[in-house]
Amino acid sequence: MCLLPSSVSVSPCLRKIYARNMLMDWQGQKLAEQLMQILLLAFAVVAFAAGYVMGSFQLMILTYAGGVVLTTLITVPNWPWFNHHPLQWLDTSEAEKHPKPQQHVTSKKKSAKK
Amino acid sequence: MHSFGYRANALLTFAVTILALMCAMASLSDNLNSPSPSAQIQILNFNWFQKQPHGNDEVSLTMNITADLQSLFTWNTKQVFVFVAAEYETTKNALNQVSLWDAIIPAREHAKFWIQTANKYRFVDQGSNLRGKEFNLTLHWHVMPKTGKMFADKLIMSGYRLPEEYR
Repeated sequence: MCLLPSSVSVSPCLRKIYARNMLMDWQGQKLAEQLMQILLLAFAVVAFAAGYVMGSFQLMILTYAGGVVLTTLITVPNWPWFNHHPLQWLDTSEAEKHPKPQQHVTSKKKSAKK
Repeated sequence: MHSFGYRANALLTFAVTILALMCAMASLSDNLNSPSPSAQIQILNFNWFQKQPHGNDEVSLTMNITADLQSLFTWNTKQVFVFVAAEYETTKNALNQVSLWDAIIPAREHAKFWIQTANKYRFVDQGSNLRGKEFNLTLHWHVMPKTGKMFADKLIMSGYRLPEEYR
């Protein structure tokens, strides 16, 4: 849905639609994934340590379950702080100044490299 | 990671993987526990001792079981199953085991106990080899964990002897 390279020209109307659907930008997605992994691992370590020290398996499970719920709330919804680096689309006029390279030219270059 | 569903799926998968790891570690942590259980069994009386019509010996006895199994419990223990077996040797079989009594211990608080009981299950031999027979009373236990590996061990108490005559 939002995998078009930035050099593709799109009408301003389409651009608005993309912008509205792009609820999380690339850097936001990367941040969300890393945050999810770090938070879950941290909660697991804390939960295991707490359960072992207190001698309670139930405490470990409850701590970890709480951690998973909290991590879900932080990283799963489309929070605005994951959308601080919106894609900069080129203007239609700008794109026309730099026409797309011809397909057969690029394929020749690739084969030459090999 | 671009949509709600993708992130929810990734989170759930990773969370469950870590949970499995934590359970494996909890099971491994049981190996750090070195239990030192103790038990004594006293036979108070042979209530009766007879030969069944078809030829098998049967005994009824009353015993006093004292045990402290608290050290078997760790944070990962669900319950402990214990049973007392009479073990003896006959010409036909090197080891005969007859379960006399069993119990499930649900928590550490109940693991130090004293009980006076007749045999819960019938003490019947396969044949008539029991007169004057020397036997062991063995306390077996199975530690059932919340997750992971089950442990089993036993404590052998020897030096018991059945009466020479039926009564």
